[in-house]
Amino acid sequence: MSRSLLLCLAALALPSLTCAQAQATVFRGARILPGGGTPIENGVLVVGGGKILAIGGADLAVPDGATIVDCAGKTITPGLIDAAFRAGGGQDLAENGEEVTPHLRVQDSLDPSDRSFERARAAGVTTVHVMPGTRSVISGLGCVVKTFANDPQAMIVKEDASLRIVLGSEPSQGNRAIRGGQVDSIYYRRPTTRMGVVWEVRRAFYDAKEALQQTQGVPGTPPNPGVEVLTRVLKGQLTAVTTARSEQDLRTALRIAQEFGYKTILEEAQDAHLVVAELAAAKTTVMLGAPSATSISGSAASDGADPRSVTVRLLADAGVPFVVTTGSNLQALDLVREAMFAARNGLSPMRALDAVTIEPAKLLGIDQRTGSLAPGKDADFVVWSADPLDPAAAAVSVHIDGISVLAPR
Amino acid sequence: MNSMLPRSFSVCAAVALLLGPATGQDLLAIKGGRIVPIGSPPIDDGVVLIENGRIKKLGKAADIEVPWAAKVLDATGKTVLPTWVVAHSQSGQRGFNENMQNVPWLTVGDAIDPASTFFEDCLRNGVGTVHVMPGNQTLLAGFGMVVRPFGRTVEDMAVASNTGIKMSLAAAQGGRLQQIRRLRRAIADVREHLADFERRKAEFEKEKAAGAIAADKTWTEEIDRTKKGAVDLIQKKVKGWLYVPSFAEVDEALRLTQELDLQLVLGNNIDEAIGMLKRLGKPVVLDENLEYFETDEETQVEKKLCSAKLLHDAGVPFALTLGGGGPTSYPWWQLGTCVRNGIPRDTALAALTTVPAKLLGLDDQLGSLAEGKLGNVQILTGDPLQATTWVETVVLEGAVVYERSKDPRLQYLFTDEKDKAKKAGGPDTPSEPKPEPPKAETPKPAGGGGSSGEGR
Repeated sequence: MSRSLLLCLAALALPSLTCAQAQATVFRGARILPGGGTPIENGVLVVGGGKILAIGGADLAVPDGATIVDCAGKTITPGLIDAAFRAGGGQDLAENGEEVTPHLRVQDSLDPSDRSFERARAAGVTTVHVMPGTRSVISGLGCVVKTFANDPQAMIVKEDASLRIVLGSEPSQGNRAIRGGQVDSIYYRRPTTRMGVVWEVRRAFYDAKEALQQTQGVPGTPPNPGVEVLTRVLKGQLTAVTTARSEQDLRTALRIAQEFGYKTILEEAQDAHLVVAELAAAKTTVMLGAPSATSISGSAASDGADPRSVTVRLLADAGVPFVVTTGSNLQALDLVREAMFAARNGLSPMRALDAVTIEPAKLLGIDQRTGSLAPGKDADFVVWSADPLDPAAAAVSVHIDGISVLAPR
Repeated sequence: MNSMLPRSFSVCAAVALLLGPATGQDLLAIKGGRIVPIGSPPIDDGVVLIENGRIKKLGKAADIEVPWAAKVLDATGKTVLPTWVVAHSQSGQRGFNENMQNVPWLTVGDAIDPASTFFEDCLRNGVGTVHVMPGNQTLLAGFGMVVRPFGRTVEDMAVASNTGIKMSLAAAQGGRLQQIRRLRRAIADVREHLADFERRKAEFEKEKAAGAIAADKTWTEEIDRTKKGAVDLIQKKVKGWLYVPSFAEVDEALRLTQELDLQLVLGNNIDEAIGMLKRLGKPVVLDENLEYFETDEETQVEKKLCSAKLLHDAGVPFALTLGGGGPTSYPWWQLGTCVRNGIPRDTALAALTTVPAKLLGLDDQLGSLAEGKLGNVQILTGDPLQATTWVETVVLEGAVVYERSKDPRLQYLFTDEKDKAKKAGGPDTPSEPKPEPPKAETPKPAGGGGSSGEGR
């Protein structure tokens, strides 16, 4: 709460230097795609104090003395939300000391001045969900941050937003089995196989379950901080996000979650098209990684996944909630381009845009603050030169908490 | 069969002309769509009439009588364009660089794999002409070849061979200066070889004139075949296609242009050299990555730059190319990137049609729709710059070579295959003699649709 208040104050501080009265700014004449609602032609968006004050058609009453920004011919959307953002910090997000580190918090590694945030907001992305890296089996706690702030604390929208579990070959990549000789490297360690990875997950949750049973009714914290985090997942107080790409790993993710009775979001999920019924039955949400990565003539994706263009349509038809992310694909730096590919693959343009705005906001539990344009929400929005799903469209201005954050060209 | 391309190509003297396999229909009419010929105004409700592989007539449907014998492709509601021309690509080969670096006698004709998925993707993306060249990790890498992405053999695909020698300033071993030194050395070696050859020949003629050699003897020695291509290069009989990875090599590239007939292929970090490229005043080819980031050394402010826009602002014509995979492999993305960065739409379209056709010396054959040119036409579901637009049909030299409804790869990508037991023909599978082809029921892959997508 106090943090958002600070943000508001920061937002207020800038314009109020010039004119204390005229706090409201009116963006007029654009086609407004509010996120999850019907488009407004020739719309009016009123912002002030870092919040959206009003939104409506051309007849919307405008406060006296407000600054008017003419946006005729432009399109306004909510700031985009990347639910699986590969933040900079590089190696800093991958803790190699242990396989299971549920208590590590990614926010301790975040650098607000990192280039990746600058690039993201230049591309219209105002909020991102950052998770620790994929080199561990249970890599730690993710958090949701705005892509613009002066210090890491001010960026944070929601801390401890998720617990990341990683399946597949990544957590064991580079690990070597000990076959005689000296153990002179940290990489002589387990796991070295998929079954080893799954065992690490299981063992962690067994421990957590045991701790829960032991402390049943007894006040006090379990001894191990990691175990404490996992008990929160088991109690449904913390969302698990399982990174899994191939069908095999997706089924494993669902199986382990069912076994221990926790709910998990599936991230990356390139093979989701093969387990649609299971996803629907388990009421699972999918963070679909980089639809653009489907090389159409089909080189094998990582972990043997077989991404298909039909995936978005199958998920939509089956009613499986899903969002589109840039995921771990290095080429996919541009979230709006990923939405474009989702639309190309048969998702309606409206749904494609929702999949990078209001849907991820709901999924991350921040839809009270952002994800759509509605009075009272944060003034996070983008003015585009054309429809954002048009490859020729560019972000004209990007606003986070009412502050224009795009460096002039 | 007659040769379809009886033409002198300005690319080089040694162009071999190979005839098209796709003579196809005698008469083909593409009717009813919005025709965007490139270089002339669009025609709504137009007709493209192709006879024996060439465009016979182009105009309003009301003005052109379609002969009764013509096969008609209905393009109502669609957009009709010439197929794209890619001026430089290293895709479609099995191994694009020999690990020996000075191999000017090689040709990509021996490396092109007609079954490569790259050529499938070309048709899927509306590309009708590709200039396949050796890769960038080289000094003098051998000859390129212009192909149509259709055919079972390289001969079937060939449009023009020996289109020039690939050269590169990309630092392979020992950095930039080393690469420059080695390239100069390689060229100097060829010059020495030629000078030696000519000196010996002159001596022979001199001795013959002096009577030291019998009068009936003639000079029979020819230039070493491993040197012939490079000799042609230094004699400007053959064009060199020089890859220039960044601004830092432009200086050397311009020096080389003074002595050789060069076509520059530019990497993307070129902003510091834009003035030099402007003075060069010749069209350039861009590699597939058009946008790049640059950080100001003093302010540490990062800027996103677009190589195509920089060239456009400097008045330097450019040709676009496509990547081997990912977003840059899609023409709509490359064209959209240009327009997004402020390049006029027509300039962007020209960069994938008329400009590359001219660079390849094929501008009298392809690159635009005009009477007398080859019937290389693509029919799109909508605007070529929209993500939701799909290539519906590709016609090369009057023959239909691609139809989206029959594209097995798209069917694979757009088919729900969750019922694997059925696919595998397990015991529960009803014993049908022929499993129905998916296209019978669903003539189109489910995606795409109209330009605005299918609302749900």
